[in-house]
Amino acid sequence: MNEATLIRKGLFRKVLRAILMMVSISIAFFIFGVLGAVNKAFNAGVDVAAANRLVIVNAINFTVSMPYAYFGRVQGVDGITHVTHANWFGGYYQQPANFVQTFAVEPETYLDVYPELILPPEQREAWINTRTCLIVGQALATQYGWSLGDRIPLNSNIWQQADGSSDWDFDICGIFTAEDSSVPTNYAMFHYEYFNESLAFARDTIGWMILTTEDVSLNDQVADEIDAMFANSPAETETTTEAAFSQAFVEQLGNINLILTSVIGAAFATILMIVGTTLVLAINERTKEIAVLKTLGFQSGRIFRMILTESFLLSLIGGAIGLGLATALVMAAAEGFQAFLPGFRMPLSVVWQAFALMIAFALVTGFFPAFNAMRIRIVEAFGKL
Amino acid sequence: MKQLFAVIGMNVRSIPQRAGMSIATITSVAFMVAVLLGFLAMANGFEKTINGSGSDDVAVFLRGGSQAEVNSVLAREDARLIEVAPGIATDESGDPIMSAELYVIVDGTKRSSQTEANLPLRGVQQQAVNLRQNFALTGGRMFEPGTAELVVGEGVIREFEGFDLGQTIRLGSNTWTIVGTFSTGGSVFDSEVWADLGVVQNLYQRGSSVQSLRARLTSPDAIEDVRAYVEGEDRLNLDVTSEREYFADSAGGIATLLKFVGWPLSIVMAIGAFAGAWNTMYSSVDSRTREIATLRTIGFSGFTAFMGTLIESLVLALLGGALAILVIYILFNGNSASTLGGGFTQIVFSFEVTLGSVISGLVLALSVGFLGGIIPGIRAARVPLLAVHQN
Repeated sequence: MNEATLIRKGLFRKVLRAILMMVSISIAFFIFGVLGAVNKAFNAGVDVAAANRLVIVNAINFTVSMPYAYFGRVQGVDGITHVTHANWFGGYYQQPANFVQTFAVEPETYLDVYPELILPPEQREAWINTRTCLIVGQALATQYGWSLGDRIPLNSNIWQQADGSSDWDFDICGIFTAEDSSVPTNYAMFHYEYFNESLAFARDTIGWMILTTEDVSLNDQVADEIDAMFANSPAETETTTEAAFSQAFVEQLGNINLILTSVIGAAFATILMIVGTTLVLAINERTKEIAVLKTLGFQSGRIFRMILTESFLLSLIGGAIGLGLATALVMAAAEGFQAFLPGFRMPLSVVWQAFALMIAFALVTGFFPAFNAMRIRIVEAFGKL
Repeated sequence: MKQLFAVIGMNVRSIPQRAGMSIATITSVAFMVAVLLGFLAMANGFEKTINGSGSDDVAVFLRGGSQAEVNSVLAREDARLIEVAPGIATDESGDPIMSAELYVIVDGTKRSSQTEANLPLRGVQQQAVNLRQNFALTGGRMFEPGTAELVVGEGVIREFEGFDLGQTIRLGSNTWTIVGTFSTGGSVFDSEVWADLGVVQNLYQRGSSVQSLRARLTSPDAIEDVRAYVEGEDRLNLDVTSEREYFADSAGGIATLLKFVGWPLSIVMAIGAFAGAWNTMYSSVDSRTREIATLRTIGFSGFTAFMGTLIESLVLALLGGALAILVIYILFNGNSASTLGGGFTQIVFSFEVTLGSVISGLVLALSVGFLGGIIPGIRAARVPLLAVHQN
């Protein structure tokens, strides 16, 4: 009988008890995995933000537009590599429930500012040269079953054309993907010119601008210069980094991070209590057995190590099962979630954190029982009935 | 019967002897119920705010197909055509009770995160206050028409910085003075900032356009007359809804989402708590094997042993559930929070621990206690008499 057998026998001394503890542990890691993935997806906008990318919005609020002329003036600012602009279209397909996130953009510069978006060269060509072109993100195309060459109408719940209609016809001439699956592709874009010239009202305004600076160190200088340029005008601007802008947007939904952390905390506090007390109890029951091992010449250190190994096995097996289930659920749900939670997947960082937690958990729950076992004195143990 | 109570009493009184395991069960049930109650309190609070916002006898007019105020644009002429519609109530001097309104989304700084969030700066006409149930000034006075003065909803003051009475605040390139605070009894309008319509149109370059018209109806049924009038008038392309319907349409999503997240989460946690309870009850039966066998020997039935164990488990679960309800009620009930609502602006709401959610929490706790106690209970009933010799 080698040490591994002893450890296995110890752990499964009461099979049902070991299984119940593993179930508890797997539940906590399941919750950790799923909510960790959700949290990551919510913050994707912050994570994928380029450090040298700035967003310019109207200082009143980002939903308030600016004069088109601002675009030309920003182009002249020193330290900028590319600048582009966009308008919110408020689109839907066929009926209002089919929301389609759509922007009217300046076609060429938009792709310059977002190099992580990938469009095959011939589609890129078509996008720049076709006035009625709509380029659709892969996730959105999958959602509605659209493919290259389709001609589709999109309605706007905000804008109206001069003739009173509110639907625009588009030719899908490109489907874009992204370098990294955490970059969202759940939206569509079309030419600002096609949009602007057909508008019944609010012509020659733009929603927001995005620019890249030559270097991160120039961010503050560029932002200050732009905001100073439009100070004391009816449309003052506010220039922030893309990350800060995305962060503020997530905060608008509420403190999602706090809510998710509280739930994860509750789940872990629960298993800590359950597994911690059960292990102490389990070792107490085995006082005599351990005294026998000691009598046979097992060193205290070896006993300590064996008991701690049990708690490690418990934590790792339970944790791995929970994390595995979480990954399976996230993978199964990812497609359905693409539309409103793009980039929903099991991030590697969450997996590593989970393993670190499993180790920490094993140490916390295993230390006291192992310590108690190590200190068992043979004489006292046998004296105990 | 007497046997039964005696055994239950013994079980329950012996709980402190197994303090560690029992506390673990109580805590695990408590956390599970707390998660459920927390989410339901958010969902119920949000729902209450939205549902308390609309009246049946106020009609809302929006541009056809715009779905929400934020997307709508109406011209000055539209208001004149609606004024003469049948079914619209008038005040003592014979003027229609209606208000043309326009809101600009402005940035406010959230106290909790120190980040900027969307607030509606609503330009209203004088009758606006008569079109909201329970409108009351809670401090200061109403704004003077034609001046850059604001009145601020109580929800905004709770969640946002810089809107206290008497302060001035810069929204875009304009400076405003806060001259009053108001409450509409916890409805959506408490999350708004109000000013004179003309001033808002002027300062934010909106010309003479508005977004919505609200009008008091002579009775809730009069909305059909108004709708028929609007459809028959070629110059109008409007959607007419009762205000209650308008908010019901725009609200559903978030409350439903919270419930859809809260329930599955707490049910998953319930599986963990169930495993914990089962484990605890097993230990309880184990540690009392001799005691149970002794009782059986002197004539107590297996059923009493079963019930003793089951009731012990239910008591632990109930304690956990009650603890969670108490803590959540003290810590959360009435807490203020805000999220992005249908109009793309923040809606401030208060957590609401309802009786319904408390009952749901207790039912979930007792289910865990019942399922966790039943198999150990059967085991207790089957303890062989000879176990009396076990050491």
